[in-house]
Amino acid sequence: MAAQLFLKECKQTARSLVYWLIILALLFNFTTQLGDMEIDKKPEPGQKSYGKMKSRDSELNMKSTLGKLTEEYWRESYTTYPIGFYKHVTLNEADDKKIGGILNEAAGIGSHEAAEKAVEAWYAAQKESKGLGSEDDPVYMEPLQVEPAEGLSAGRYAELMDEADKILGGGSNYTKENRENGVEIPMTYEDALAQYDMLIEKDRLTGGYARLFADYMVIFLGILPVFLSVTRGLRDRRSMMQELIYTRRCSSFTIMASRYLAMVAMLTIPALILSLVPLSKCMVYARTAGIAVDMLAFVKYVFGWLVPTIMAVTGVGMFFTELTDTAAAVLVQGVWWFTAVFCGMDSLRGGSYGWNLVPRHNTNMNWQGFNDGFSQLLANRIVYAAAGLVLMALTAFIYTQKRKGRLQIRGKIFANRKGKSEV
Amino acid sequence: MERYLQIEKVNLKYNVPLHILICVLLLLVSPLLMGVENLKAEDTAKVLEVYAALMGIILLPPVFLPEQDRDIRDLVYTKRMNGGSVYMVRLLGNVLILAALLGVYVGILLHNGCEFPAGKYFLGTFAEMLFMGGLGLCFYGLCDNLVIGYMAPIVYYIAALGGGPRRLGVFYPFSMMKGSYTEKAWLAAGALALAGAGILFRCRRK
Repeated sequence: MAAQLFLKECKQTARSLVYWLIILALLFNFTTQLGDMEIDKKPEPGQKSYGKMKSRDSELNMKSTLGKLTEEYWRESYTTYPIGFYKHVTLNEADDKKIGGILNEAAGIGSHEAAEKAVEAWYAAQKESKGLGSEDDPVYMEPLQVEPAEGLSAGRYAELMDEADKILGGGSNYTKENRENGVEIPMTYEDALAQYDMLIEKDRLTGGYARLFADYMVIFLGILPVFLSVTRGLRDRRSMMQELIYTRRCSSFTIMASRYLAMVAMLTIPALILSLVPLSKCMVYARTAGIAVDMLAFVKYVFGWLVPTIMAVTGVGMFFTELTDTAAAVLVQGVWWFTAVFCGMDSLRGGSYGWNLVPRHNTNMNWQGFNDGFSQLLANRIVYAAAGLVLMALTAFIYTQKRKGRLQIRGKIFANRKGKSEV
Repeated sequence: MERYLQIEKVNLKYNVPLHILICVLLLLVSPLLMGVENLKAEDTAKVLEVYAALMGIILLPPVFLPEQDRDIRDLVYTKRMNGGSVYMVRLLGNVLILAALLGVYVGILLHNGCEFPAGKYFLGTFAEMLFMGGLGLCFYGLCDNLVIGYMAPIVYYIAALGGGPRRLGVFYPFSMMKGSYTEKAWLAAGALALAGAGILFRCRRK
């Protein structure tokens, strides 16, 4: 019975216009973001640039953090992410003075003029060292670094930065996490080679590209499934089939579980099919470079990275549609998606997955970051998969109540009362 | 005229209060999510284009919602006033509400010390709102499905966030952040065409 219902629901989904529009949207996303994807070649000595990486040098991190504070203080403009969203902060006079005091104690820079001098001196020295003649010469400038004041202890430095962060309303460049991880340095040939070796040895090439594929697809899959589940939920009511289905012998749980699993399966299929394109590119490259790729990497990432998001979002759609008999789930999921995507903006390089519905890892490299954050990511994915199942079970519960004539909304309470009085 | 006012009165009383409430909530929570004080022009543009413009998706596509039920639609189409006029009145009403909400929000931003050309930014954001709403209206009318009416502008919005101006050309919605207004004229023209097409599709569907 359950298998039959599952197949029936799969057919219903395949006949749904929304399903094909979702596939179109996924296809559009894939071709615009990954359509022209090239497999990274092994780095060669003497290249102009090798990209960037996070610094683990605490002295450099301190200098760079003080440099950021000096520059922002000079510009009188601070960038923060209080709850993940970009926020531009301009301080009033009193708070500006407080920041000046902090900077004075931490780096001996107590006025805007002194900060301007420090910024100008730094960039002038950079231009000179690079031998630039014109102001317009395009060149990469190292971000400002400022020496800490003499005798500044690590403890006092941390206190001062925490205070600056508090004045700025949180989420600034001066939080503990950003102080330790917020400094990016250019990679050397050796660093780039080590990263490439990680990609080949640890990720076996396909792992890194599967993560990048999952990163792009999860953005759309963080919201699109809700449209399918809402449409499916409202369809019975629209076709006036609800009452007819209510009278069937099949349990509410079987109906909802088969519907839920069918939608999750039908949404997973396009992701699996699309993953064949980057997989084939990886295989072509691997054959010429003599690399033994992990053939199942994309399948693992589709199921491990994308399916939990699909499950949670489908669950939200089913639950709120069954509860309200409206398209309210679109709004709920829209808000969740918006928050999740903007929260993930400051962790695009991967490694800091947190509890985000849309975990980001916008690079084929950084295996180390992925490995360090793996346990967190695993917990994250398990929680969302479980949340999806719980929401499905709750939907079944609401459905049962409706079959019994309870929880009817949208004016049906009156209809029921009338029905009872007539009986 | 009295009949049109009556249609809008019913619309305001029964159809849009929830959507207006959601829009107001959206604007009220914005200071918690992003800076709305002392912003420079490009940062103000970001608040308006990326955030406030979402009101267009909330308020415009539900114009057809009261006749979602086919029986009600059949009944409405038997009346002397044609369905298209009813939709036009509702659409115009919702557009005016959008303009009022955006106007108040722009006023608040100005009051909070943000430095930006208020008139240009108002019109630019308004054009974007109408385009996204019009897109929803068009797909709703075409597919007779509210969910698709929400889905189309949301997909467009995500595509704009991820793809940038290179992919969307003159229909890129976040151009004010880069100091360009040409796209806004295209968005306004597109909004008119999409809303008109949406109503046409809807009226042809019996």
